[in-house]
This record gives sequence, structure tokens and C-alpha cells, in this order.
Amino acid sequence: MATEYVKFVDVTKCDGCRACMVACKNWNDLPAEPQDFLGSAQSHAKTTADTWNVLQYIEHENSKGNLDYLFRHSACFHCTDAACEKVCPENAISYTDFGTVVIDHEKCVGCGYCVNNCPFEVISLKEYVDKNGDKYRKANKCTMCTDRLEEGLQPACVTTCHTGAMEFGDKAAMIKKAEERVKQIKDRYPNAMVYNPQGVGGTHTVYVLAEKPSVYGLPENPKVPTSAVIWKDYAQPIGKMMIGATTMAVVGAFITNTIISKKKNGKNEDGGDSHE
Amino acid sequence: MTNHWNDLQYTDCALIMGANPAENHPISFRWLTKAKDKGGKIISVDPRFTRTSSMADVYAPLRSGTDIPFMGGMIKYALDNNLYHKEYVAKYTNASFIVKESFKFEDGLFSGYDEAKRAYDKTQWAWETNEDGTPVKDETLEHPRSVFQLMKKHFSRYDVDTVTKVTGTPKEDYVKVCEAFCSTGKVGKSGTIMYAMGTTQHTVGTQNVRAFAIIQMLLGNIGMPGGGINAMRGESNVQGSTDFALLYDSIPGYLAVPKAIPEHATLEGYNAKETPKTGYQSNKPKFVASLLKAWYGPNATKDNEFGYQNLPKGNKNYSHINLFNAMYKGELEGAFFFGTNPVVGGPNAGKEKEALGNLKWLVAVDLWETESSAFWHKEAGSDSSKINTEVFFLPACSSYEKEGSISNSSRWMQYRWQAIKPLGESKADLEIIHELATRIKALYKNESGPAAAPINALYWNYGEGHHPDIDLVCKEINGYDVNTGKLIAGFGNLKDDGSTCSGNWIYCGFYPEEGKNRAKNRDNKDTGMSNYLNWSYAWPMNRRIIYNRASADPSGKPWSKDKAVIWWDDVQKKWAGHDVPDFVPTKAPTDPTGTDPFIMNKDGVGLLYAPTLNDGPFPEHYEPFESPMPNAFSSQELNPAAVVIEGDFNKRGFKADFPIVATTYRVSEHWQSGSMTRNQEWLSELVPHMYVEMSEELAKEKGIKNKDKIIVSSARGEIKAYAMVTKRFKPHTSGGKKVHQIGMPWHFGYKGFATGDTANRLTPHIGDANTTIPEYKAFLCDVRRAD
Repeated sequence: MATEYVKFVDVTKCDGCRACMVACKNWNDLPAEPQDFLGSAQSHAKTTADTWNVLQYIEHENSKGNLDYLFRHSACFHCTDAACEKVCPENAISYTDFGTVVIDHEKCVGCGYCVNNCPFEVISLKEYVDKNGDKYRKANKCTMCTDRLEEGLQPACVTTCHTGAMEFGDKAAMIKKAEERVKQIKDRYPNAMVYNPQGVGGTHTVYVLAEKPSVYGLPENPKVPTSAVIWKDYAQPIGKMMIGATTMAVVGAFITNTIISKKKNGKNEDGGDSHE
Repeated sequence: MTNHWNDLQYTDCALIMGANPAENHPISFRWLTKAKDKGGKIISVDPRFTRTSSMADVYAPLRSGTDIPFMGGMIKYALDNNLYHKEYVAKYTNASFIVKESFKFEDGLFSGYDEAKRAYDKTQWAWETNEDGTPVKDETLEHPRSVFQLMKKHFSRYDVDTVTKVTGTPKEDYVKVCEAFCSTGKVGKSGTIMYAMGTTQHTVGTQNVRAFAIIQMLLGNIGMPGGGINAMRGESNVQGSTDFALLYDSIPGYLAVPKAIPEHATLEGYNAKETPKTGYQSNKPKFVASLLKAWYGPNATKDNEFGYQNLPKGNKNYSHINLFNAMYKGELEGAFFFGTNPVVGGPNAGKEKEALGNLKWLVAVDLWETESSAFWHKEAGSDSSKINTEVFFLPACSSYEKEGSISNSSRWMQYRWQAIKPLGESKADLEIIHELATRIKALYKNESGPAAAPINALYWNYGEGHHPDIDLVCKEINGYDVNTGKLIAGFGNLKDDGSTCSGNWIYCGFYPEEGKNRAKNRDNKDTGMSNYLNWSYAWPMNRRIIYNRASADPSGKPWSKDKAVIWWDDVQKKWAGHDVPDFVPTKAPTDPTGTDPFIMNKDGVGLLYAPTLNDGPFPEHYEPFESPMPNAFSSQELNPAAVVIEGDFNKRGFKADFPIVATTYRVSEHWQSGSMTRNQEWLSELVPHMYVEMSEELAKEKGIKNKDKIIVSSARGEIKAYAMVTKRFKPHTSGGKKVHQIGMPWHFGYKGFATGDTANRLTPHIGDANTTIPEYKAFLCDVRRAD
């Protein structure tokens, strides 16, 4: 097995330049998707199928009553226990040896369960049109540039980051670094913390946050939904054993629809609250 | 920059004022982050809480256009609290010089003012001199007419209360800034000042920078690692373009443009007027002769003043504002625009667009059709049936499609190679110029007379064919012996007898011998104190920190071990260290002028008092052309030496109609007038809309909600934009009253993917008293909801 890597994002070193967003689009060849004016410097409300990382800009009055202007590079966390992987009825989502979580478009049927169950809301569906003019959908999100990792390169966002706000390296070393950094900045940011939520088994994007997760719109303690665990770890294997994989997929689609799909589709992605 | 980007990591305190480098010069934060890791402090002074402010340890707001009070108060603070570096000030500055009795300062005016001309007689500010012409000095600094005492008196008026009343800075924040920055006056500490167009684009822009220079000399921060005055240039190659005379008042290497004045009638006269008797500039005739040899080659001889008479000589101010005023009045026939887009980037841009319609012809050289080259389109709001201008568009290729060098803010000349061939019919600027020059020369070949003479005299010898040999251009810039063709090792070897040429003396030395173009150097090994002497080439003579003689005490020892740059090695009898000495390498501290670090100044010392500027030897506060309050320091409202253009071309707004202070700025994602970035989808999606930032308080008063469409108006025009209501703008309390300020990016126009109204339709046609740089950064406006 390859070394387990994480992307370490120290938001207190980020100056909000957004080179990570451009580098991502460039490497992954993603189209631009200009949005309506959001009322802040932020370009997109959240990540989308064509915008895999978004720089958040947050105006926050801190506990001392001073204004902080906080930035966060937001992208897929690559959870160790990834809800998306658990709920995918087609096994289209899997873990790589690097610890990254990737979607196999050959297998993805665009059901959207991963979208609905991601605790961080980073996955989105994109609509494509085939040569017959028929529409179909696939789930998309940050791959942590797994294609680059396979070639011995680092993720494009990390490579381009000029302040050293992002690093990519051995998991234990990065976590240690994050913990030390929090100690250094406690004076300036009393609420600073390492964000590596254990409810999802830890993540492969580890943050040093300047403030509590909620300030960034992040869940304080994200969890893999119990229903997803039951489905993936118990129902699906048993079902496949009993009625065969293909039939199980059909049954699975029904079960997932009724049990797991807890959120509504069609969430407004290009407007609304930008956290500023 | 006196220093360079990598050097920022050695600072103990960075005062960032008139700049937002986190957003506009992001690479600086690579080094500032390192400085912070080592305990360095960052101060951000800005009307708006910016991304830089968020990275800073101390933030202090100020009203746009009040930098001189802010810095004047800091100068007073350093003097009152004995925080200045006494030996440095006494030995390395003109603090000890005695000024003539004719120098006076009263109610905002220096002596010698001529109101009709809006100009000073500067001879009244001169030194008292000894018989040999050297200045009379008092090294005790006690003499009442010593620069030190005059400075003390001048800035005594800038007390904290008056200052903060004018700037609107909360007093405790202001004192915090003074404390933090003045702590770098201690030996072993260094502080840097980083600035950009927020400092310079004012009617007092030059004096804003002067105020920085004064505090940095008082604190002994010039010549030090992590110190200096660091102008962050607004484009990757602004440094290079000004070095190569893209300034209306200079020819390459910052030599003065010859004018239609009696003293400049001959080369001898020009040299006599422009050459100081002492200091390194006393070599100027060598640089001028070598430049003329580069331009006119064999046609430049001693007998014909090296072709000096071929140079056009005018007697006007040919700055951007004045050129457009002339165009507006129909005095200009044609224009070339090389990568410039004044319909977005020029001040009072609506008027500049109108002015373009008075040209007979316009040649626009750019990557895209811009708002300026398409000024006659219906989309531009023009009626083309009334415009007779013939517009030629020449497609230019981008930097990746051509070879050449750029010089960054660090003065590093870095060579860049061609990555891909130019697309379509696009050509490199150099090739376009080359073709123009060769074709124009061919047209005039058989002509004579005053128009043909300079063109026929021009020596254009860069190889055969359409594309010039860029290596020949490089060699000519460096200079060579015209008899042997041997390259010149450095500008110390240039001659005034016509035996050498050099297209730009300050770059002489970058190509010292065949096959050794040092702009191509790419050795990333640290040669000490992160100066990377073998990476690219820094003018002058590869010196990375200029005035670095001042990093050592008069005896030649570094003021402190931690901040050592160069030192006198008594065994080897030369200066040694981490940088190339900005000094004669073998001149001992005990030699005459061996303790004069500011070699480019006539007297070898730094100028606390600068009697050569148009608006006074000390910075003095005047309100911007458009201001919300009367000047608290004197009855002079506007810089008395700023040139005011009256009439329709430059309408002035007043507080009664336009009570809100406005400023403009840039964002990371867009470049200048946006002609490159607004045509790039990935950048356009990041900042796709024109917006105006305003405080919650102002929004409430005006009934404006975040994301509303609003109209901003000034005496010059109106624009529509989105309102971005933010906590990062707060009203200032100036003169005891609440003053609102707004700000907006100036990148937008109607072309490209990201479109929006042009902020510069609001800005005024008035410039700085020395440089005529437009006052983009402080003007008056009003805002209202669009519906």
C-alpha cells in the first residue's frame, strides 16, 4: 500500500488569491461557470460539478469584537469513512491507495445519493448529452488530483499555492504540523483548531481553522449517516448474496430513494447566502 | 524597490500603506509569511479592511488622501520619543546641512511661491555653502537652520490629535502603528515600507513617498536587509518599462529628456545643466554619449554632438493627462497605443474616449480589441457617423509567444524564452517596432530636410529579415566598444568620447561578455541572505539591496550581525559580504567620501530635505483636489504646485453635491484595464461583475441593500454597479464629522466575458505636482439606488 497522504490546509496562511481555483480548472479542464453577483468577493456559493474548489470569504467579528476576514479553500475532504462511498448503489465511488476518494464515471449512474449524503456538500451532478441527444448525469467532485499523485506529482492546488497555506504529505507528519501550528496562533486566533473530524474516520484534507467550524459553515461533528452504514455494510452485501447484483441495484435504488435520500434535490447553488 | 521580494523575509516590521499586496502582489506574502514565522509584524494602513489587513497584526484605517498627516505624525513620534537612529541620521543623511535664511515656511507655503505660475523658485531653499561649494554642516544638529531642526519644527505641527482628526484613524490604532514601526529604529531591527499606487496616485503622490523616505532614514532602515522603501510595481514589467523611459520626462536610464530651453540647445549645455559636480551622477556625460552612440551609431560623431540635435525638444508637460487634453482640443493628429486602454484605465475616461474621436488616426497594438481601439463602436456609446478617426488594429502576441526580458519590482531583469509560436497574424511588439522602423527608414531614404534627418540618422542594425535579432538588441542595451565590438563589463567603463555605446547605462553589465547574458542566469543556490546573486541580473551591477553601504557603520562594520549585508575587509582591502557593494568596492571607510552611502546623490547622503522637488523640500499636507473637509494644517487647500486644468476637460465636484470620498483599486484576478483577464474565462468567473464596496452605515443611510444595483455619480459622470455592503468599510470621523468612503475596482469595461461600467468615468484629470500621475485614489462622489 502506498503511503497515506493528506492535504494540509492552513487557512491562517491563505491570502485569498484564488490561484488554487484556477489551477484546479486548468489541470482538470473544467469550464468556467460565472454566477450572479453574490454580494461578496466569493465567486461561487459552494463547490459544483465544474468548480471543484471554492475560496470562501467570511467577514467575522471575533470574540474580541475585532473584524476578521477569513479565507478557506474548500474542496472534497476525502473522508476515511466516506458517506458517498457507502451510499453509492453502483460501487462507483472508491478509495485509492493514497486515501483519496474517487468516482468512476463508467459505473456512476447519476442517481445523486452521494450528493445528498455528503456531510460537507461537495459533490454535485453534471448533466451530459450523448451522441443521440439523450441526457445523462454523473457525479463530480475534487479527485485530489489522483491522476497527478499517480505520476508522483502533488495536487494542482497545492503546487500553485504561493504562501505555503497548503501542503501535501505523509498523514502523521501533516497532522503533527497542524497541531503545532494551532499552538503558535492561539494568541491571534483563540478558537483556532485542527479540523480532522473523527465522525467520518478523519479526513484526507486536514485543516487548521482560525475559528470554530460553524463560522465556515462546516459541521462541528460530521457523521456518516447510520442509514448509509446499514445499507452499505449490511443490506447491500446480504442482498447481493441473496438475489444477485443486478436485481439488487434496482432494489437498492428504491431503498436508497426512500430511506437514504434525506435531502431535497435542486438546492440553489448559484446564489443565496455566501457567508459574508 | 531598494530591496527585493525575497528580502522581505528579514523584516521585523512591514508597514504596508497605499497597497494591498495580499491581493495585488500576492507573491510578497510568500516572504512576509516567513517574516511572520520569525516574529515579524505586519501593519496594514488602508481606508478599507483588505485581504492584507486580514494578514496583518495591526490594522489602522485612514481617509484616502491623508497619508502625509499619517506619516508626518509618525516622524514627529520618532523624533519626540528619541526612537531614531542618531548616528545614521547624523552621518548618512543631510540632517546636519545648514539651509539658507531665505527658506521659509508659512501657512502651507514654502518661500519663493509664484501664484500665477503655480510654481516655486527653488533657489530660495538652497544650502549655505562653503567656498568650495560644499554644504555648511553642523554635526551636533543644533543649528536652528540645520535640516534636522527645520524638520523637527515642520513636523511639530503633526501632533497625534491633529493627525487623527484629519485621517480619521482611531487614536489608539494610530499610536499602535507608530510604536510598532518606530521600534525598528533600534540597532539590530529593520522595518520595510511597501507601497503601490495608493501612495502615488495623489496630487501629493511624490511627497507621500518622500515621507516614507524620511521615516526610513530616521530609523536607519535604508540599505538594511528587511528594510528599505519598496514600490510594488503595478505590472510585471513596469520597472523595466520605466527604466527604458516609458516616462514622459526621461530617456533610457532616467536621464532627463532634452527640452526646448536655452541650456539644452547643445549637448555641452545639456551636460552642464544635468550633471552634478560630485557623486556618481558626475559621470552622466559618459552615459549620454553612449546612449547617443547606440541610437545613431556611425552617424554620431564628436563633431555633430553625437547626433544630439536629432532629438526632438519640446517645452510642454507630455504626461498622460496633458496628452489627452491636447487630443481633446484637437492638437494631436495621431496616436499609437501599445497595450494601453485609456477608455478604461485613463482618468475621467469618458472624456478620454471623446478625445480619441479628434484623432485622424489611431494605431492600436493589443492582444484583443479593447474598449479603446473600439471606442467608435455603438456599444461604446459612440456615434460612428460623427467620428472620422481611422483606426488600425495590429494583433500583438502574448509574453509566452515571444522571447525577451522583463524587469520585476526587485529590479531583476529576467529573461524569458518563447514557449509557443505566435497565433495567427500576431507579432511580438519588438517585431512590430522593427518593421515600422525599417519601413519608415525606407520611405525617408531619399529625402532630406529636418523631418528626414533624424530618421536617416537612426542606426537600425538588428539583422536582416522581418524579425530582429534580439541578441543584438541585448548587446546594444548593455553596450560595446564601437571600434572592436567587445562588450562592456559595466557602466564604469563607458566613455564620453564616442568610443562606447550603451542603450541603457543602468543595465550596462548584464551582458559583460560574449555568451554571458546574465538575465538568463538561473542558479537558485542562496549566495547568502537570500540575495541569490546568480539568479537573473539586478541593475545596477547586480546589487540586490541598494545603498547597502548604509548597512554598515561609518567604520565599515555591520550595525548588527543579524543584519549584515556588506562590510569592509581590512585584510583584502575591499568590501565583502552577501551582496555586491553599492559602493566603490575598494574605497575604504577612511578614504574621502568613504562614509557616503548614497552615492547617487550629489552629497553622498540621504535627503531628509529635498530642495529639488516642485512642491517643497518637506512633505506638507494638502487636501485632494476633491475633499470633504478643509485643510486642518493651513489655508492652502490643494497642493500649490499641482497643475490644474480648467474647464470642460476637468470638471470639479464639491462636498455639497458629492459628500462621499471614493477610491479605486484592483483585484487579484484582473490585470489593469482587464483587456487580458476579462477575455479569460477562468479569471472572469472569479470576478465577473462590477461592484462598489460600502459600509453598512452608508448603505443604511441610502436605503441600499447588499447586491442592489446602484448608481455612483461624480462631477464627471455616472456608473451603474452592484452594491457590496461590507463590514470592511467603516465611516471615518474626519474633522469631527462622519465621512463616508466607498471603493471600487477599475478593471471593467464592456468587452470580454466579465463586463461592467468603468470606474474611471468618475475620476478627475488632475495630477501630482512632480510626476503628473493622476489622482485616482481620492475623489468625491455620491451614491443612490438604481431603481
